[in-house]
Amino acid sequence: MTKILLVEDIPDNVALVRKLLSGRDYEIIHAPDAETGLQMALDHIPDLILLDLGLPDYDGQTLAGWMRAESVLDATPIVAVTAWPEETAKKMVESYGFDGYICKPIIKVSEFIAQVESFLKTP
Amino acid sequence: MSPTHPNTTIKLISASRFSYEQLTAIYNQTRVDYMVPMPMNAARLAEYVTTYDVSLDHSAVAATQDGEMLGVNMLGLREDRAWITRLGVIPNTRRSGVGQALMESLMEQAARLSIKFVMLEVIKNNTPAYQLFSKLGFYEVGELLVLRRSPSTKPVDPIVADAQRMDRTDSLVLVGRDRGTQPWTNQSESLTNAFEVSGLRLTLADGSRGWMVYQRQKFLLTRFAFKTEVGDPATVAYALLSHLHHQYPRLDTQIENIQINDPHLPAFYEMGYVESFRRIEMWHGTLPASLSVK
Repeated sequence: MTKILLVEDIPDNVALVRKLLSGRDYEIIHAPDAETGLQMALDHIPDLILLDLGLPDYDGQTLAGWMRAESVLDATPIVAVTAWPEETAKKMVESYGFDGYICKPIIKVSEFIAQVESFLKTP
Repeated sequence: MSPTHPNTTIKLISASRFSYEQLTAIYNQTRVDYMVPMPMNAARLAEYVTTYDVSLDHSAVAATQDGEMLGVNMLGLREDRAWITRLGVIPNTRRSGVGQALMESLMEQAARLSIKFVMLEVIKNNTPAYQLFSKLGFYEVGELLVLRRSPSTKPVDPIVADAQRMDRTDSLVLVGRDRGTQPWTNQSESLTNAFEVSGLRLTLADGSRGWMVYQRQKFLLTRFAFKTEVGDPATVAYALLSHLHHQYPRLDTQIENIQINDPHLPAFYEMGYVESFRRIEMWHGTLPASLSVK
């Protein structure tokens, strides 16, 4: 089963992502903050990491930097999920080694699922 | 603090009656839909309160008469000046006067302490907040930048210079010197209150010289203060940053509230910093002596 780590502090957003990705061959694991997120990433080596940029302990950019420094996560795409304006999101993605970003709020379900699938297919 | 506001549906309670966990929960709820949410945990909020001289006794939580939480607002106090920060209203209760009640409450707290100068920052394009502050007499004084630099940014060699690392004591002597009027977060008190502060001072071959003081957290360099004493600010800042990032190549960097017209700014961009977002700095009242002379 494809394993997706969701690092997100807002319970409603976690519930939304779980709901949108339910019924598919995905196992969603969840971390509510950056330190837990790093530990879970190292413990589970997920197939995809969806990372909220606003976290309560360290922000998503800092966490992405830690993850990118871990060679065991080299093959794992890290995707920022953010409400930043697109221009800012692009700069952060490029600078911090993310593989891409998904804009919040998630409005179109089909688009969100297609984005998740495309990041999973990226070699 | 007045137990009720003229809007009798809103009760204002001193923030000191809440634990950091409770305040964090309220604050985070107010920010869930922000473009820049900046959630906190209790430890981060406690550090924020200490570093920025926030007085929880003079800060406020808004609630309904039934005890449902509506919002929060915090007041920093230093000598003859105050700072309003962390204002937030829970999304489904906005546009009902909660933000204004919280603002008026803190302005009243400052006035009771005979403080006639209040500062704040508002995220650029947060129009409702900007309009509220303007309505209450705050005026715009400038634009501030929040910048980030990833540890994966291409490393640079340190510029050849006579460079000297400074311990906390020597660093804090420097930040007390005149750096012009700084936003609250970058005033000398913020660094005096912070842990793990150190600095760097250097002189270039042409006699240019300057210094930079910063806080080194576990994973992050932050809270920068800097000054060029002789020479071109961008050149001196570039040399300082080259030494700093050479010393800490694995640390992420976040610097807040650099004034947009700061002459050191080109060096940050050249060093790989990227802009996260902008704030507008606003003042209420006239600049007090404590800021004019520093």
